[in-house]
Amino acid sequence: MKFSMRLNLFLRSFFLQTGWNYMKYQNLGLTFVMMPFLKKVYQDDQDALPSVLQRYLENFNTQPIMASFCFGALARQEEAVAQAESLTKFKEKVTEWASIKKGLSITTASIGDRLFWGALKPLTLLMALFIWLLLDINFFEIELPAHTPFLYAVCAGGAAFFAFNAIALFVKWQGLKISYHANEKTCYGLTRFDWNKTIYNAKRIGIVLAVGMILFGIYHYLKDFREVDVHFITRAVIVLFFVMISFITRKLRIPNMYLYLAAVGVFNIVCYL
Amino acid sequence: MTPEVFMLCVLAALLELDTTYALQLTFSRGIIAATLMALVTGDVMAGIQVGIFTELIFADINPLGGILPPSAVVCAAVSLALHALGIELYFSFFFGVAGAILFSQAEKLMRKNRFKWLVFWEQQIVKTPSAVNRAVALALATSFLMNFILIFIFVLLCGKLMLWLLPYIPVKAHFACKFAYMAVPWIGLATLVPAFRLKAR
Repeated sequence: MKFSMRLNLFLRSFFLQTGWNYMKYQNLGLTFVMMPFLKKVYQDDQDALPSVLQRYLENFNTQPIMASFCFGALARQEEAVAQAESLTKFKEKVTEWASIKKGLSITTASIGDRLFWGALKPLTLLMALFIWLLLDINFFEIELPAHTPFLYAVCAGGAAFFAFNAIALFVKWQGLKISYHANEKTCYGLTRFDWNKTIYNAKRIGIVLAVGMILFGIYHYLKDFREVDVHFITRAVIVLFFVMISFITRKLRIPNMYLYLAAVGVFNIVCYL
Repeated sequence: MTPEVFMLCVLAALLELDTTYALQLTFSRGIIAATLMALVTGDVMAGIQVGIFTELIFADINPLGGILPPSAVVCAAVSLALHALGIELYFSFFFGVAGAILFSQAEKLMRKNRFKWLVFWEQQIVKTPSAVNRAVALALATSFLMNFILIFIFVLLCGKLMLWLLPYIPVKAHFACKFAYMAVPWIGLATLVPAFRLKAR
């Protein structure tokens, strides 16, 4: 695959989820991404294109960043389908193509969800929170300092944005490149990276940062402690109550947002009692 | 409805596309989207706070498979728009969270119904392959329009309601909402610890 074609697929891959629907998921997006490649492969056999497109318009669903591994592998297999010399070979290659599409989409979705949504996103959030705390933007307080320099205010979000996208775009670009040249033995390039170790390390860093952040919050509340007054007790009770209850609601699979909405109701009732 | 709130709704509708339909470069995550939207309203610190709180409150729901998390963009947009109209953040954030939940329900409905429209486009694509570009452009345009309409209507209704209600809200309700708002980072952080657990459940 030429660099220009890879770049074209890479840029189009940002629209993979356009037209997402509950029946065929990313089928429109996959067709959109692969279209320039299909047009090139079948430029001498335009009549074959409708039946090829019907295959691409079938179900497809995976994690959008890791999807690039599917694009490269499907592109390579599509070349094999186009070059099939007999009907038997053609059917064989199409079956292989379908199994790659199904199998690889499930594998990449599993890795991508755990790595990008499960580890990297919360990790970059914690990174941003620590940067803001270092810059004296203490989000544990409702009243934030009014005269914070603009650069201070935006740099933590910017750092999280660049950290996440540097990894995501690298994986996206390399995935397209590696999977096109890889084969079944290397799981279409997926074995090139040690995903489990990366996810494990990211989560280990994440748990240290999350615990560190909670400890900082507790320190922030205790640092000006002089005597046990009503104000201190109220804050301590609220903090402890919510930390405890959110562990319980997580076990019960109740989302945080409902806990917050319930808190608004409960506090209003308590205030009126 | 001030011009800056109108602009904020337009920006929010654009940023919301990043959640699913286009780019997915995390422009739509709370800490980025809220900061960008706060540049329109002029209160960057409010944007940062809403952004952090939005991310933390929705940190436990990820877009795995077909799961549709509440929109961080809608939550931040509604919170900041109401704040720009003169409503306290601890009230506006409540409407932001409610708006994000309602938006995700509306989004689910749109995704279910989009298939009927896509059947037509699939036929067009098979006949004329270049129709896929038009289908994608149209899907993006309709998604933007739907996002804008939903966000704008919600902000308009909540803004009118709160501006009318504000003089009648007792001081106790201010305290209650303030306490609940103060608990948000703790709720979020307490979720992040088990979220990083090393063993799968």
